[in-house]
Amino acid sequence: MTAPMLRLEGLKKTYGAKRALRGLDLEVPDNEILALLGPTGAGKSTTLLASAGLVRLDAGKVSLGGRDVTDIDPSARDVSIVFEGFNLLPVLDVKDNIAFALRSPTYREEEAEIRTRVGRTAELLRISHLLDRDVDTLSGGERQRVAIARALVRRPKMFLLDEPLSALDLKLREGLRAELKQIHRQHRSTMLYATHDYHGAIAIADRLAIIDGGVMQQTGTIEEIIALPANVTVGRLIGSPSMAFFDATIVDGSVRLAGGAQALPLASFGETRLGSGKIRLGAWPEDIDVEAVGGAGANSGTIYAVDNRGFERAVQVNSDAGSFRKVLPSEQSFKQGDACSFRIGSGFLFDATTGARISHLGGKPA
Amino acid sequence: MSPSRTTTFDLVSRWLIFGLLAVYTLYNIGPVFWLVLSSFKSRMDLFAMPPKLFFTPDFSGYQSVFGVGAAANSASSVGVFDSLVNSIIVSVSGTTLAVAFGTLAGYVCSRFNFIGKGDFMFFVLSTRMLPPVAVLVFYHLMFARLGLADTRFGLTLVSIFANVGLATWIMKGFFDGVPKEVEQIAIVNGYTRMYAFTRLVLPMVKGGIAATAGFCFIFAWNEFAFASILTTTQAKTLPVKISAASGATGLEWTQICAAGVVLIIPVLIFFYLIRKHLLMGMTFGVLGRR
Repeated sequence: MTAPMLRLEGLKKTYGAKRALRGLDLEVPDNEILALLGPTGAGKSTTLLASAGLVRLDAGKVSLGGRDVTDIDPSARDVSIVFEGFNLLPVLDVKDNIAFALRSPTYREEEAEIRTRVGRTAELLRISHLLDRDVDTLSGGERQRVAIARALVRRPKMFLLDEPLSALDLKLREGLRAELKQIHRQHRSTMLYATHDYHGAIAIADRLAIIDGGVMQQTGTIEEIIALPANVTVGRLIGSPSMAFFDATIVDGSVRLAGGAQALPLASFGETRLGSGKIRLGAWPEDIDVEAVGGAGANSGTIYAVDNRGFERAVQVNSDAGSFRKVLPSEQSFKQGDACSFRIGSGFLFDATTGARISHLGGKPA
Repeated sequence: MSPSRTTTFDLVSRWLIFGLLAVYTLYNIGPVFWLVLSSFKSRMDLFAMPPKLFFTPDFSGYQSVFGVGAAANSASSVGVFDSLVNSIIVSVSGTTLAVAFGTLAGYVCSRFNFIGKGDFMFFVLSTRMLPPVAVLVFYHLMFARLGLADTRFGLTLVSIFANVGLATWIMKGFFDGVPKEVEQIAIVNGYTRMYAFTRLVLPMVKGGIAATAGFCFIFAWNEFAFASILTTTQAKTLPVKISAASGATGLEWTQICAAGVVLIIPVLIFFYLIRKHLLMGMTFGVLGRR
């Protein structure tokens, strides 16, 4: 296998007292879109800035295209970056903003070539009509298109996109995301796409890298992560709604929910490593059945909130062991305050203190 | 309360407010009006009682201030023109250098962290809070030793010292308003940080530079305390000269008044030019940006 386009090894960075990166490792293979998914403050931006060379690392190694660039100047790394908010230089108009890199000492091109490439890139992003405009006359969506055009026009080794669409409204965001993916398909490029938006991440990315607390939690395709989530943090960030967690104990070889009736045989959790008695049981909402009250051996809960989406209803169920959200078909017409029962089909066991997965150590569940 | 009574009340309060404002305006404008009027009066008209509103204008005061015409070389001329030249040279060069240093220092304080930055920023501002009178004697002794007393160069140094702190603070505020992404975009796209600073960041704060320069210029232009102690004959600035413009025949009031008007004019021009930036400058750039 060829060397990955981007390889980060043991990155550490503190800002004053705040530890932004705590030994982060990441690989982005060539021609792949990798979504860096994590909550605000997880270290996504710092990871991108470190890849571009825009922050001084306390420790760690950055390689681009197989070359160690840890101490290489950002201007010589041949990467493009698109930020969430401020992207366009107000002292230049749209076409000069797009052509910005092509006039730099490092990436200089002939003026004729610049004109062709700016024109072509503008067409690709459907902003040809904006080329002569001043940047402060553009709307938010137009601004981000121009910013992406500036990143694209140079054909860098790698694109670093830091929440490039978060500031846009939903419809624009979805449209531009689809275009980005289309551009990626046509031009074979490597992208590291940082986002806190789960839907955005799975829509655009080939693989996901879940980051929190300045360390990588898990990387893999969405299928791999759903099949074997590494820890509680991953479960919280993946899925819509995300993973449900319950307090549970192990009694007589089966997992019992706190205050619940259901007992899941321990054998159904594959190879396990159990410490203290208390554990957390995690289950994808898709593996939980919510029914009317009274199912034999089911756990009882209360419908705490109902979000009627017309075709379906998203409900939040509260129980003694924990609460969870799940989308139900409209036929199950629960109302707020209704009692209900729920049954967990399959799940994962996590350490109650560390949050690490302690079930299915042998591999994927059947 | 009936509508008609409300109207009466409104009318009375309106006229009351109007009257108060008129008195206050008169109180403020009056001295300036008197100054402008007096600057065109001959010695006889100046002391006429009751004061004359209509008289034959006498331009001798302005002639000596600007060093033109017969009055400039007459016996009663007290060298106001030289002071005007001194003032212009000291204010312009002092302002230019203070803004230049302040811009560079403000950028560094805005973008980089260094040990003792907070203390440094406070120290820089404290130079502005310093009452000049407190250190005048030491300046006088130091300048005498260094041969800087009564020189434009010495006064320019004082002007820089007095203004560079303020310039640093105001410019830091404006640079804080420029997103750090500007430099990051430039650097990632193959430019140097110096290019980003000179070609991208500086144009974004040019309004701030203008406002800062205006403030510094006004302070330098109006500076009195240092100039009065550190100059004796050669380097007297206009404010110092006005305070004691006595010639062979006593105080030359016409020249003093004309010089006073000339002293006011640059301030008026400046405030007219930067009226849009004024709020921004006064709030150290905090409110100015989107």
